[in-house]
Amino acid sequence: MFRAVIMSCLGLLIATLAWFGFAAPRPRAEFVYVDTSGINTLDPAQLSWVPDIRAALNLWEGLTTYNPQTLEPMEGVAYFPPEISADGLTYTFRLRPDARWSNGDAVTAADFVRGWRRCLEPGTAADYAALLYDHVVGAREYYDWRNGFIQSPSAAPESEIGNRKSQIQRHAGEMDERWSSVGIEALDPHTLRVRLKHPCPYFLSLTAFATLVPIHESIELLRERCDGLPWTPGFGAPGVQGLPLTAEGLVVYDPQWTKPDYRAHGYPGLITNGPYMSKEWTFKDHMLIVANPHYWNRAGVGVKSVDMLAYGDVNASIMAYEQGEVDCLFDMTTSYEHELVRLAETGQRSDFYTPPVLGTYYYIFNCQDTEVLGRRNPFIDARVRKAFSLAVDRNAIVEHVTRTGNPPSNHLIPPGMIPGYVSPAGLDFNPEEARRLLAEAGYPAGEGLPPLDLLYNTGFLHERICQVLAKMWERELGAHVDLTGKEARTFADDKANHNFLIARAGWYGDYLDPTTFLDICITGNGNNDCGYSNPAFDDLMRQAGSESDPQRRFGLLAEAERILIQDDFPILPLYTYTKLMAIKPYVTGLYPNPRLFFPFKYVHVAR
Amino acid sequence: MISRLTKRILIGALTLLCIYAITFAMVITTPGNPFQMSERNMPPEVIRALNARYHMDQPLRYFFEFLGGALRLDFGPSFQHKDWTVAQIIGQALPVSIVLGFLAILIAVLVGVPVGVLSAVRRNGWFDLSTLGFVLIGISLPTFVTGSVLLLMFAVWLNWAPIGGWGTLGHLPLPGLTLSLPFMAYIARLTRVGMLDVLGSDFIRTGLAKGLPARRVVWKHAFKVAFLPVLSYLGPAAAQAMTGSFVVEKVFSIPGLGQHFVDSALNLDRGLIMSTVLVFAAILIAFNLIVDVLYAAVDPRIREAA
Repeated sequence: MFRAVIMSCLGLLIATLAWFGFAAPRPRAEFVYVDTSGINTLDPAQLSWVPDIRAALNLWEGLTTYNPQTLEPMEGVAYFPPEISADGLTYTFRLRPDARWSNGDAVTAADFVRGWRRCLEPGTAADYAALLYDHVVGAREYYDWRNGFIQSPSAAPESEIGNRKSQIQRHAGEMDERWSSVGIEALDPHTLRVRLKHPCPYFLSLTAFATLVPIHESIELLRERCDGLPWTPGFGAPGVQGLPLTAEGLVVYDPQWTKPDYRAHGYPGLITNGPYMSKEWTFKDHMLIVANPHYWNRAGVGVKSVDMLAYGDVNASIMAYEQGEVDCLFDMTTSYEHELVRLAETGQRSDFYTPPVLGTYYYIFNCQDTEVLGRRNPFIDARVRKAFSLAVDRNAIVEHVTRTGNPPSNHLIPPGMIPGYVSPAGLDFNPEEARRLLAEAGYPAGEGLPPLDLLYNTGFLHERICQVLAKMWERELGAHVDLTGKEARTFADDKANHNFLIARAGWYGDYLDPTTFLDICITGNGNNDCGYSNPAFDDLMRQAGSESDPQRRFGLLAEAERILIQDDFPILPLYTYTKLMAIKPYVTGLYPNPRLFFPFKYVHVAR
Repeated sequence: MISRLTKRILIGALTLLCIYAITFAMVITTPGNPFQMSERNMPPEVIRALNARYHMDQPLRYFFEFLGGALRLDFGPSFQHKDWTVAQIIGQALPVSIVLGFLAILIAVLVGVPVGVLSAVRRNGWFDLSTLGFVLIGISLPTFVTGSVLLLMFAVWLNWAPIGGWGTLGHLPLPGLTLSLPFMAYIARLTRVGMLDVLGSDFIRTGLAKGLPARRVVWKHAFKVAFLPVLSYLGPAAAQAMTGSFVVEKVFSIPGLGQHFVDSALNLDRGLIMSTVLVFAAILIAFNLIVDVLYAAVDPRIREAA
């Protein structure tokens, strides 16, 4: 018996070694890069993580695309520029007839309508639904009407379930009619007309974004139809016969449609229309994309195969880069990052780059007139917020704590990154003025301030930055601030529920326009975690929204930002994010840019 | 024997159910939005739609639906990695971890047992003392240190092995060795102690007095008894090694199961948390069962008691 066990163990060992011995190593792609965390989702309607967006932008192509250096919109599936009506409200896109899907099908306006509608449908809508419902005529109404209908059917009493079925039937019958009043129309197979609620000077940037891409019709094979087929993994409730909705009233697809080798229900695997198509994708290991043979500009595609490796460990990826196994690293967040940044800054490593990115690291004050954590909130007084902001020495934090070359910033919008936008002056470190303001607010030398609390999420450098902030406030203002570190999810919940006095925050812009930052301070915005509300600010934002002259519009937005960073201080900006990355010298056409979007079709490798 | 086995299997299933219930309770009461993907807040409508879809608003229903799915090996979708089902994630990761863990345990036994026996036989000699040092290092050095050092030596300086990844023969030795070190050290220790215990007993002295060759006494008679504690350690050790090691996988960039234990908890990826816990528990229970059966085969006393 014992001998048999040993023999079978040895047999297994030999079999394993043989299996691995005969496995050929994967051939090296022309261009190999590492994204540490791998890809969360490739579904264009649902993505929000930079590595996901980066990958999706190479697989799909929108009506416009990004210039690889400036990120200005340029031609994509549609001829550029589209026809824009004099009032700036109607965009008519002419799709190029040679635009093709990776299976050779023509890309049509209906494919765009399908893709955009998914961004608004409950069940597939996610973080970026607002890109459409904020701008497109009727989109918000459709989104609200659909969401108003969603409920969990089993939450209803048994007697109402039958009733619910007929409700869903009626609702499904009405959906297309309601959709027809949304300003997204396919006039013919090659013409797409989009009507906007208000002028949107950056709309052609939005149409380049990975959310607003076309989706191939084959996805409909995987739509859960509630007649039991096709079956979606997960626990979809039994639905209503023959309807395109789930029993909850949702539009749901088998989430595996993004895989290149998924073949259920006659699905041909992922079909995309970008310069590349997905060839292999294994979870948290690698994704291989190759040139799309039907891409309209296939002659202009540089590297023909790109391999994305998901090394979980930054050290391993740096070693792989040094060994030449990898051509490019987009994420080098390590405990010794500042050393690497120093090498880049002193010119010892010309292949390391530290571009500032379109994102700001900041802290927020709770501006709501409520008790927080059972305490009176002193930060409802703008003078207190201003005092706390002026007492912070940003240079010290950047030079001694982060040490990764971040430009210190007293702006919400990273200055100089949005072409044409002139940032208002920010207020610098000024402890005397800070003390004066605090005394004026009734807390001379910090006396009378209730116990204060700074909420942050553990990890990264947050804890050390918080300690320094607390020290500065104590030294300059006599304020005592306790630190509360929480795990990311709990932290996010507390922040969204305004359950804090001061909290850490950060924001990355989604398009090159000030509104991508300023919107989060509008009263009632879903990301307005500070609970800030100033009618004057809201009014400026509204005016800017209907202003068609770009110069005047930027003026209004700059005035809005000025209110935030000179008067009201709902936020305390610290620095502009930077990203350390490594690109081998033999790689050309890859430009470090503020959004970290890299269209690989421009990349050439001369190894 | 058969009835005993049936009973053990039933108890195992019951244990699994309890583990599931406890994990479920912990997962469902942990604060935080499991659907959140980035730093931005999700629109409340989207959260409502997702809650409706996965019946998160009805914990009891979710409890039984997940359980029913798990029995069919369908663990539902991953909330964080939306394009993958949990079954696929585990299906890709578990075989990797099993191969690596199997290799590690094999190395650990093949090296650890002879080292333990020899150091017991040559107690307090130079071999014993030097292996004791090695054992101490193996137990006390964390794998992220040994792994990184091995990687630096063999992959970076000597260039004998790839930096990381999975799929070819070259990818096996370094992580296998790294993962095996703590197990190897512990097994050597257990064998040595067991051997010392047995070597002092009467039947060994009798055997030696009767003129049996020392080698035969040690390997044939003493070892059989001394191996028992090692065998009972091997059950949980194998389960632990084969369900993946977060650290070793991270250092060597191996797409195994270990990372999901940590990542799923951090991400609050409910289905994935419960599934990894269930898989680990099931493997642990299975290995303990196998060890018990082997025990009976090796030790006649247990066979008779049964």
